[in-house]
Amino acid sequence: MSIKDIYQAVIDFNNAKVVELVKHELANGTDVSTILNDGLIAAMDEVGRLFSEGELFVPEMLRSAQAMKAGLDELKPLLAQSAAKSAGTIVIGTVKGDLHDIGKNLVAMMMEGAGFDVIDLGVDVDTEKFVKTAKEKNANVICMSALLTTTMPGMEEVIKAVKAQGLDIKTMVGGAPVTQEFANKIGADGYAEDAPGAVEKARELASA
Amino acid sequence: MQQFTRFFTDEQRVRIHEASLEILENVGLLVRNKKAREIFAKHGCEVDNQTTLVKIPRKIVEECRKSFVPTYTFTAQDPQYDVTLPGDRPVVVTGSSAPNIIDPITGEERRATSADIANIAYLINELPGFDVFSISTLAEDAPKGQFSLSRFYPALKNCKKPVRSNTPSIADLEQVLELGYLIAGSKEAYMERPFINHHYCPVVSPLTMDVESTEAVIYLTEMGLPVYGTIVPNAGMTSPMTMMGTLVLGNAEFLALATLIQLIRPGAPMIYAVLSTVADMRTGNYAPGAVETGILQMAHTEMARFYNVPSGGYIGLTNSHVNDAQSGYETGINTTAALCAGADLFNMGGLLGSLMAFDFAKAVIDNEIALMLKRIKRGMEFSEENMALDLIKQVGPGGSYMDLEHTMANMRTTAVLPKVANRDPRGRWEDMGRPDAHARALKEAKKILTKENPARFPAELDEKIRAHFPGIVAGDARWYE
Repeated sequence: MSIKDIYQAVIDFNNAKVVELVKHELANGTDVSTILNDGLIAAMDEVGRLFSEGELFVPEMLRSAQAMKAGLDELKPLLAQSAAKSAGTIVIGTVKGDLHDIGKNLVAMMMEGAGFDVIDLGVDVDTEKFVKTAKEKNANVICMSALLTTTMPGMEEVIKAVKAQGLDIKTMVGGAPVTQEFANKIGADGYAEDAPGAVEKARELASA
Repeated sequence: MQQFTRFFTDEQRVRIHEASLEILENVGLLVRNKKAREIFAKHGCEVDNQTTLVKIPRKIVEECRKSFVPTYTFTAQDPQYDVTLPGDRPVVVTGSSAPNIIDPITGEERRATSADIANIAYLINELPGFDVFSISTLAEDAPKGQFSLSRFYPALKNCKKPVRSNTPSIADLEQVLELGYLIAGSKEAYMERPFINHHYCPVVSPLTMDVESTEAVIYLTEMGLPVYGTIVPNAGMTSPMTMMGTLVLGNAEFLALATLIQLIRPGAPMIYAVLSTVADMRTGNYAPGAVETGILQMAHTEMARFYNVPSGGYIGLTNSHVNDAQSGYETGINTTAALCAGADLFNMGGLLGSLMAFDFAKAVIDNEIALMLKRIKRGMEFSEENMALDLIKQVGPGGSYMDLEHTMANMRTTAVLPKVANRDPRGRWEDMGRPDAHARALKEAKKILTKENPARFPAELDEKIRAHFPGIVAGDARWYE
């Protein structure tokens, strides 16, 4: 058994096996950051690549992300004490009035897969809740999603609130009716057309 | 009597209905709107205000079914444009609420404005294939507090056909109704002929009713104004990855909404409207242009006939971003399939990129598709007279029908005479600069929109409206350049 097996178990979305293998490596004294980076995150990078090439479908990617998360949960208690650190903290939700969360869920999953701490506030999230949670959790990025064209203005409110309070928190927007132009107009720090793009953008913003 | 394509036996339709009842009774649905929960509770549904879960016993659904009505009317400012389902089927409607428009001059996608809505309204008023104008886009230039007003005013000012759309809040809805009262002359006059037709998607699949849209549906139903909802499951994402699972879930969702409406006002007209789709699981992309959308529309239409309510929905949408072969075949195949199954309402016109952008040329092409659908509906018109047996005897073998009175009498009505579809020989087409369907359609839109619009409000009424809503957008149709 090795890190390679963890990598493969994530790709095969075998949650139980990922957990078992991670425990085994920890017991063997393998470095936490090695398990995280070479096992879990490397596997999700490969899953992302296979997805981009059309070999893996969305549900397969989701299941791999879930398997990755199962492994990550084993590491979490140890991560705080180790050198390995999270890619950043994300607060995510659909904006006020919008209950459509398929896209948001996909983005949240992929961000977890990429090693972010993701706090998913669910649907119909108002400005106060976005900002309050982000402050409490010391988040790097607030990610907002809208499907309805009529709920998009809620995004601008959150961005205004973040700026008004002078917070060092980046904002990202997405969803079918949202465009780069709209993101610029409302002063969002980031926009992406799809879930893989959102992960890339979040990496960029969190490391900035 | 017209025959329709059917997938199911009578027994299978009953089974689909039973399965839907089972979902409502045993699984239930989340009802986020408090008022809706109160209505369900008052009539004997099992309501948990903590979780917002509502379970609807089958006998309540069955009781509500008794007050379903078989017709639905879209009222227009000008009564000559009133249309009623199913008698006037296929009723063709524009697709609605896209944020963007393809600029007809630059060809680039940009945010749409109230001036675009004025132009689109005028175009739809003039294109004979369209029966209802569902306001195609949003208006980015809307002044604060006039989000919906900035859409409905240019629409009603430039289109005398029934105008349809939604509003994001009760405040917006009340403002729009106020506009209706002003145009009608009084609230009473408006209630006689409510020419603003309301539509919402209050059910978010799977099995959830939202707050705002549900509130609007309750509000309008209580007022006795026309409103209907569209059910929008997306297989693989918000419904099972089988056609049957999506049908049953969507059917249950229709019944839940129909039950709410009938509990409020028994006999309130409804449309069994859907946009049931199958997600592209390779990417998770939304695929309203997929052929499965048409197949699901056919199946829902069959269930609508089982309930004896008019049917239809967003059918004939495309995922294509341009007027290419894809946009044509996606709109064409899906609408034809739905028509053959007996769908009454087609929300199909003018949008590209799965409801994201309006395109003038697409609207003109869709007008032509609409005319073809209406021609299919007319069908063969069987009659002794139409068989023209006497004429066939008279002309005999080897004769010609070209210069006959009979030909002249029928030649303008027997066939659709398209303005976009090209039938010229190649040489002539090349001489014209090889225009494709998009170029020909855009030219047609320009031809219409460079003429003065006869459908505007009288000056006196317009002054009254503008004084009532200070800062309201201009709302005038004027071609670009």
